Amino acid sequence: MRFILEINLRGSGRDMNEKIKISTRNLSVFYGPKQALFDINLDLVENKVTALIGPSGCGKSTFIRCLNRMNDVIDLCKVEGSIKVDGKEINTKNTDVNLIRERIGMVFQKPNPFPKSIYDNVAYGPRIHGLAENQEILNTIVENSLKKAALWNEVKDRLNQPGTGLSGGQQQRLCIARAISINPEVILMDEPCSALDPIATAKIEELIDELKKSYTIVIVTHSMSQAARVSQNTGFFHLGKLIEFNLTEKIFKNPDNKMTQDYITGRFG
Amino acid sequence: MNLVILSFILFFSLSFFFIGKARVLRLANYNIKNLNSLPEYYGYYLAAWCALPALIILFFWSIFELSIIKIFVLSDFKLDPTIDDNKLNLIFSQIVSIAEKKFSGTIPQNLIPYVEKFIALNKIIELSKFAVLFSAIILSLIFAYRQILKNIKARESVEKIIRGLMFLCATLAIFTTFGIVLSLLFESIKFFTSVSIFDFLTGTNWAPGRAFVRDASVQTANVENVFGAIPLFWGTTFIAAIAMCVAVPVGLFSGIFLAEYSSRKFRKITKPLIEILAGIPTVVYGFFAALTVGPLFRLVGEKFGLEVSSESALAAGVVMGIMIIPYVSSLTDDVINAVPNSLREGSFAIGATKSETIKKVVLPAALPGIVGSILLAISRAIGETMIVVMAAGLAANLTLNPLEASTTITTQIVTILIGDQSFNNPKTQAAFALGITLFFFTLFINVIALSIVKKFREKYE
Ligand SMILES: Nc1ncnc2c1ncn2[C@@H]1O[C@H](COP(=O)(O)OP(=O)(O)OP(=O)(O)O)[C@@H](O)[C@H]1O
Ligand SMILES: [Mg+2]
Repeated sequence: MRFILEINLRGSGRDMNEKIKISTRNLSVFYGPKQALFDINLDLVENKVTALIGPSGCGKSTFIRCLNRMNDVIDLCKVEGSIKVDGKEINTKNTDVNLIRERIGMVFQKPNPFPKSIYDNVAYGPRIHGLAENQEILNTIVENSLKKAALWNEVKDRLNQPGTGLSGGQQQRLCIARAISINPEVILMDEPCSALDPIATAKIEELIDELKKSYTIVIVTHSMSQAARVSQNTGFFHLGKLIEFNLTEKIFKNPDNKMTQDYITGRFG
Repeated sequence: MNLVILSFILFFSLSFFFIGKARVLRLANYNIKNLNSLPEYYGYYLAAWCALPALIILFFWSIFELSIIKIFVLSDFKLDPTIDDNKLNLIFSQIVSIAEKKFSGTIPQNLIPYVEKFIALNKIIELSKFAVLFSAIILSLIFAYRQILKNIKARESVEKIIRGLMFLCATLAIFTTFGIVLSLLFESIKFFTSVSIFDFLTGTNWAPGRAFVRDASVQTANVENVFGAIPLFWGTTFIAAIAMCVAVPVGLFSGIFLAEYSSRKFRKITKPLIEILAGIPTVVYGFFAALTVGPLFRLVGEKFGLEVSSESALAAGVVMGIMIIPYVSSLTDDVINAVPNSLREGSFAIGATKSETIKKVVLPAALPGIVGSILLAISRAIGETMIVVMAAGLAANLTLNPLEASTTITTQIVTILIGDQSFNNPKTQAAFALGITLFFFTLFINVIALSIVKKFREKYE
């Protein structure tokens, strides 16, 4: 079974039970004249965690920001190629980017709670998208999101205090709660633990494990052990190219590419 | 004369810079490693010791020189009780100008002995100045030279001297402010001895012209109820409010547009263009208001059957508002730019549109800064004089009608002080009372504004 799965992933890329949530084909990104990504072909499997690893500046952030069209915000950034979500092309002029971002949430490297109360931080998305008809439903959404983000017990008595007053790890979980408050299909996480201590990191990793039951997750990380712990698939980027993409176990035990091997074992450079 | 002395001191300290440098090098057998500091520092040290004490003495000497001479020269006149201080000053300035051969007209013979006394005294003082300065230079040089020979840490000493100089400049600025406030305060206290502070702050009739009557008996009768400053406070607030009605919406929206919507290129061109508005001299705004906007409003008003005086609070306020736009727009733009991009991205990433993001995340985050900038603009509006002088008139009306003439604190200060005025009647002193009221008013607003802005900065830095 493992064997077949591997073959499938490396080949045309599909296992019987697995559904491709997002797939990119020949995805290239330019910052002005500088090309940051070269022809990336990558499939993200539904309800799985995909880890993206690679040295600094190799284009991991650039790649995941393509998936929810966040690169639109950057003036000189140009994205070419195809990005399909559930088989539907989203890299076109007339795609509703707000709708895409509603379906594909994002958690950033540095926690960025709004300077509002904890409650308002989580209620922000539902309010904007009109997900709650009345206060009661909104309360439930906020509570559930905070519970899912494993933050509820720590903040339930002080929902009216500013979100910026929480600790770094709590802030990051608040941002995760904010992202899942509108019930997205995919969550993109760009180094979500880079500013956190081991305990907070462990909490968030646990959380990711829990969240993958209902969401498709992409996580960028510099920690090999984290990638190995939380992900099922791993992609290795180098200088804007996707060098290798495979099952996490395979990547860490027996990668096909010498460069991947060197990077994982820390002999890179 | 002082100029000669100054260049002399400068020359001295320059030469001692080189002397000190050379001397200390020789002392170290031309090996810098033997010294505590680079040889230049010994040069600076010597030069500073040469110049600074002399300069300080020169400074104080120049301040007190004339008044000391004055005391001696005028000692005879002081005995005469019919001569008051004003007259004494007049006599002394006559003596000085005769001595400097600048006196025009026939020289009053009775002053000649005093002129001679003045010239003689002046010579003595001049000579002793030379002597004192020279010995000061010599003494401090000897001291400094000895220090150098001891191979002191000249680098640290020079550092201390530089720090002292900077401190001096900083305190100078502060003392100037204090001086201004004190002079305002003294004159206003004089004013408040003849007019009660309560009448001043609560009276509704402002007509200082009527207090300016030479007849003493009439004056006391009139002083009572002509210095009510309420109309002025009202005019000031009213015109500033009209100005803010123009400046806040326009400034705010253009600031938001510049910061959030315009392309970088557009912003680079437009922002300085808007800021030009703040650089136009206020007189120019003044006649723009008086000659263009005022008559225009009148014309339009007449079409609607309204009676508009050609000098109106509205015209002054609107033009003042235009002038203040850049204060609001530039600061708003800066403050919005200071809101970290990560907040915007966080909002976009959740599917919010640009305007939702601005309305719900950026503006609330920037609000304290924006409020601060508006307060700063208000204090600018309150202090503005020229436009009001030219466009709003001088009538101290207590009215809610923006189409009538109105006046402000600053305008009244100007009209009171224009022309030759003696400084010891309540009318002139009223200007100082107004000045200090204005000072505290704007100080209050500025302190609040700055503390709000500061809190905002702390939050994001
Ligand atoms: N806004 C931008 N403007 C210009 N170039 C950019 C911009 N953002 C990224 N780049 C360039 O694109 C390349 C990829 O950057 P990216 O941020 O995707 O790297 P990364 O893999 O996320 O690195 P890290 O691990 O350090 O976060 C880099 O060479 C970077 O210089
Ligand atoms: Mg990155």
